[in-house]
Amino acid sequence: MSDNKNTTTVPATPKKHTDPLALIVRFQSLIGLVLVVIGGIIFSPRRHGVILFLAPDNIANVVRAVSETGIIAIGMTFVIITAGIDLSVGAILSLSSVVTATMMISGGYGLITTILVVLLMGTMVGILQGFISSRFRLEPFIVTLAGLQAARGLALVVSGNQYINISYGEGPGLAPPIFAVLGQRLFDNVVPVATIVFIAFAAIATLVLNTTRFGRYVFAVGGNERAARISGVPVSAIKISVYALTGFASGLAGIVHAGQFNFGSANDGTGYELTAIAAVVIGGTSLFGGSGSMVGTVAGTIMLGALANILQLNNITPAMQLLATAAIIVLAAVLQSLVRRREGLVR
Amino acid sequence: MFVRIFKTALLAGSCAALATSALAAPLVKACAKDGQFVIGFSQANNAEPYRQHVNDELTAAAKAVPQFTLQIADGAGNVNTQTSQVDNFITQKVDLLLISPFEAAPLTPAVKRAVDAGIPVIELDRKTNGDPGKDYTAFIGGDNFKIAQAAGDYTAKTLLPDGGEVAVLEGLPSSTPAVERLNGFKDGVKGNAKIQIVAEQAADWLPDKAQTAFAAMLQAHPDIKMVYASNDMMAAGALLAAKGAGKQVKIIGTDGLPGPAGGIEAVAKGDWSATFTYPTGGKEAIAMAKSILLNCAEKVPATVTVDTTAITADNAKSMMGN
Repeated sequence: MSDNKNTTTVPATPKKHTDPLALIVRFQSLIGLVLVVIGGIIFSPRRHGVILFLAPDNIANVVRAVSETGIIAIGMTFVIITAGIDLSVGAILSLSSVVTATMMISGGYGLITTILVVLLMGTMVGILQGFISSRFRLEPFIVTLAGLQAARGLALVVSGNQYINISYGEGPGLAPPIFAVLGQRLFDNVVPVATIVFIAFAAIATLVLNTTRFGRYVFAVGGNERAARISGVPVSAIKISVYALTGFASGLAGIVHAGQFNFGSANDGTGYELTAIAAVVIGGTSLFGGSGSMVGTVAGTIMLGALANILQLNNITPAMQLLATAAIIVLAAVLQSLVRRREGLVR
Repeated sequence: MFVRIFKTALLAGSCAALATSALAAPLVKACAKDGQFVIGFSQANNAEPYRQHVNDELTAAAKAVPQFTLQIADGAGNVNTQTSQVDNFITQKVDLLLISPFEAAPLTPAVKRAVDAGIPVIELDRKTNGDPGKDYTAFIGGDNFKIAQAAGDYTAKTLLPDGGEVAVLEGLPSSTPAVERLNGFKDGVKGNAKIQIVAEQAADWLPDKAQTAFAAMLQAHPDIKMVYASNDMMAAGALLAAKGAGKQVKIIGTDGLPGPAGGIEAVAKGDWSATFTYPTGGKEAIAMAKSILLNCAEKVPATVTVDTTAITADNAKSMMGN
């Protein structure tokens, strides 16, 4: 029993070990981010002695571009820590962007109502998936794969196979101009609003994961589900809540998407689930569950964006970009596996 | 390097002058016959064979101008990715931006940022919102309606003068080119009252879907004499379906892509009756870039429509070399 008790309180990463490899894995995405930034500085094109990579505009471009997948990756981190997976996130993003646009443009709903309904809808889709998975003991992979199809189908139905453009102004058929702020930049036209949403969401999620009982339970369920159940963790409720969280995050990302690009489309967000999963894994969260880090996810997300940016600034082909990302994912996974082996976690 | 410093100095010093004498000034202040210029091309999605063809033609045309360096970024069919790539080009201060926006409205703000940064923007094949010549420098592209209309006209007059049953394979529903090509073809065959369109199905530009759809059409309408496919890939799928059903069906494709999988070779081999090129506008875009960057043009045409070429048994073999 003492062992079980221990499992429920195991923190993100084992503290007992001072294994240098474990330390590297714990901070791998931060280390990776630092390396990419150093590489970026070295290889960046310069103009009049200014390092383009470090130009405020350029950094703003990087963190804006990753804000949507970043928001999703934050939700995904909770799910993956419970050893789950959520493939439906990109589709929920597109459904949310379509519903956002439809409600404001043809529905005539106000901003607050629209946002609340979309966030609630995303959360409900997540709860439904979590419930089905947990109630019928189905692999989340299958349930959320079905969820992906369902959300895209719904998005097509809601949008009537059309792109829904968002125009701004007062009156029917127009969205409140304030909504367009999501596509703008603040503080001397530098800080993208989408990034502020991303970072704020990341800060809240970090607190929830690291300081609340809910956060501890999430680690416990992923570390050892049976032990967690025996020691009184409401396993089903936790599992359902993490999918509610990815649903909520995808809804939020969908709203940001609609605001940034002034439209809702059933074809958008394709492949976002994979980018988000990649960011989480690079961030040091184990797909086996039980360990992970929110800061790592944020660093992993920004690292992928910075990498894409520096490759484009140097006019390196998209093919190389894919290959570089692949190499980084494999490296991150291998490091994790090595640590697991050292700690005797591999059966 | 000298040119860049020169450009910055001029830009800084001449904003007021630009406002008052906009008409007399060249579009790009730093233009020079012997300058070195970087052209950024933001492509919508490299994964489509047609867009690869655009990249190839554009690269070839740019190579012929030693003053130009062409950089191509792949938006990968994702408006977020494409937006960030346009922003990167602005950061790099490319001398001219070419763009085929994946979708109009989402890329409109990015194009505006480029224009605001003083970068001339030529839109290729697809437009963002607003007017060429005002909200961005120019639009170069084909006219989907006219191209499909030419295919319909060819069907009505040359391919099936005695009429008969005709089928249409449409592109991705609700996408602009799919709708324009469908309507254009229907308009073109109107000239022959004996032609009957008995089936039209969307196959989303994809060969596998086209094969399935056309096989079903042949089941339902065994007398179909001709099928119009809104792109080459679907025409290839239709050919497979016709072969599978053991039927001789006349096929017209669209795009006129080169290479072993493209329409030109299929026509040359006699598998299809014809394909109608959708011009890439690559040569025209580089020509316009030359007049802006090298020849200091004060004005360029706001819209350049590039005509289609009908590729039939008569010219397919000679076109293969190109």
